[in-house]
Amino acid sequence: MSKYSLKNGGLDWKRAERMVAGVDIGAVSSKAVILVDGQPYAFSQVLTRTPKESSLKVMNAVLAETGLTLENISYIVATGCGRGQVPFAHRKITEIACATAGAVHLWGPSVRTVLDAGGQSCRVIHCTERGRVTDFLWNDKCASGIGRSMETFAYLSKKEISEIGSISFQTETFPQLSDFCTVYAQSEALDLIRDNVPIEQVIAAFHQAMAKRISTLVGRLGLKKDFVIIGGLAKNQGIVNGIETFLKVSRLTTKTEWDPMLIVALGAALYADDFYKGVKSGVSTSNKDESIFSG
Amino acid sequence: MAGLDVGHVNTKSIIIRSEEILGFATVPSGLKAVSSAQEALKKALQASGVLSSELKMIGVTGFFRNMIQKQLNIKIAVPEEVAEAKGAVFLNRNSRTLISLGGNIQKALRYDQDGNLIDIIQNDKCADGLGIFYTSMAKAFGIDEHELSELALKSTKHLSVAIHCPASAESEAIDLICQGIDIPDVADAILRFIVERISAMCTTIPLEPEIVVAGGLAKSRALIKHLSLLLKHDLNVLSTPEYVGAIGAVISCGSEK
Repeated sequence: MSKYSLKNGGLDWKRAERMVAGVDIGAVSSKAVILVDGQPYAFSQVLTRTPKESSLKVMNAVLAETGLTLENISYIVATGCGRGQVPFAHRKITEIACATAGAVHLWGPSVRTVLDAGGQSCRVIHCTERGRVTDFLWNDKCASGIGRSMETFAYLSKKEISEIGSISFQTETFPQLSDFCTVYAQSEALDLIRDNVPIEQVIAAFHQAMAKRISTLVGRLGLKKDFVIIGGLAKNQGIVNGIETFLKVSRLTTKTEWDPMLIVALGAALYADDFYKGVKSGVSTSNKDESIFSG
Repeated sequence: MAGLDVGHVNTKSIIIRSEEILGFATVPSGLKAVSSAQEALKKALQASGVLSSELKMIGVTGFFRNMIQKQLNIKIAVPEEVAEAKGAVFLNRNSRTLISLGGNIQKALRYDQDGNLIDIIQNDKCADGLGIFYTSMAKAFGIDEHELSELALKSTKHLSVAIHCPASAESEAIDLICQGIDIPDVADAILRFIVERISAMCTTIPLEPEIVVAGGLAKSRALIKHLSLLLKHDLNVLSTPEYVGAIGAVISCGSEK
């Protein structure tokens, strides 16, 4: 279903020194990225059911694409809320540290604020030019599940999740919804439909409310430039534009073809690569899992 | 005669001749309630083998009733509370209280032997969308609503998710899954959360027996089991529980004559 992968044809793993992987078990979807000698080689993505089963599924999917087996992969870092349930992981690192590592790798050392807007939760993270975390803020419960509520909203309005973001641009005027509680916002959006408010206005209103909710979170930690957005909601142009307008900032846009949902898995793979280099050169890295402020 | 119940989430249609249910159909309401209503009606007519020209009268109820009444030029539109009480008495003559579990709105109704409303209570806004929440949790686990309910019956642990808010409950349920808790135990926690919200609502009106339950969530055996325990009352699930409003809309047509 929502599973795809891409092989980097320019690399030959048979001659490679290091093959490592990052696995990101999120609340809604699970992703895996394989690096060959530090270069992205393949990735895959599946929907999360239970973390353990999904970690095996996403790993098998990425391996199947490359002809590699699990034994070929020297080091695997697990991240995401289900990272504790990945049976083949050598080490666990929080998605907060992986998000900034992946973002700085892709966008460069100017990145200072990363907004990771996922299916279940949103995180704002400050980082150094080397991608180390200096501060972060997690969404409070009242704003959890914004990504998933977008899916529910798309389902209720019989639209595709990929199209509702652009539908929100079809109107300039729209009513206000509660922008604190996702439950209220959804219920009020349904009320609007009864009152014969045009569909594109309802969709725009819902996007605006959710964008404002996320922007409040960013505002609380403070916005330092450069700013990037990753996670599934980064693919929703309606949300992204809303956030940029509220925060009066432009995010750095992706220069690469990376799917914003894969950045955390990429960060995990980069950590795996670093750790494996350490193991090979005999430098002992501490085996402490769960380091947020790594470095 | 035909009844239409155009709700937040689903549009239900039923075809009744005198007191006999001939056929019914459900389609998602979507954002175009009018075309959903037309589609539901068409499907219900097909299911019952009745031609639309044979329809004597149509009654409409539900959240979108006024929009539908105006645009489809339907004579009778009744509030869903009125329709559901009538429908509940039609399906169970001895019932006096209906707990109606919809996609977005939950309510409890008390009525007399003719289905005339006496008392009513609706969920507070913080508990909106319990039905939608239930469906979305089933989807998150990659199963359907029926499976979620059946799995919950297999739970051996007694876990809890938030007691007040569906958004928090969802977040906590996902946390449990991420910790590697088995789906049956999480499903059970989700259902008990929904049940606690419903029973909290039911404490404010007297529950006069027989108590019947309707709406899509009524089809969950696990939910009914927990709700019955918590309310300390026997509960009967109406047959065709999601059509009680549509049936009531038809009956309201009859009483207009």
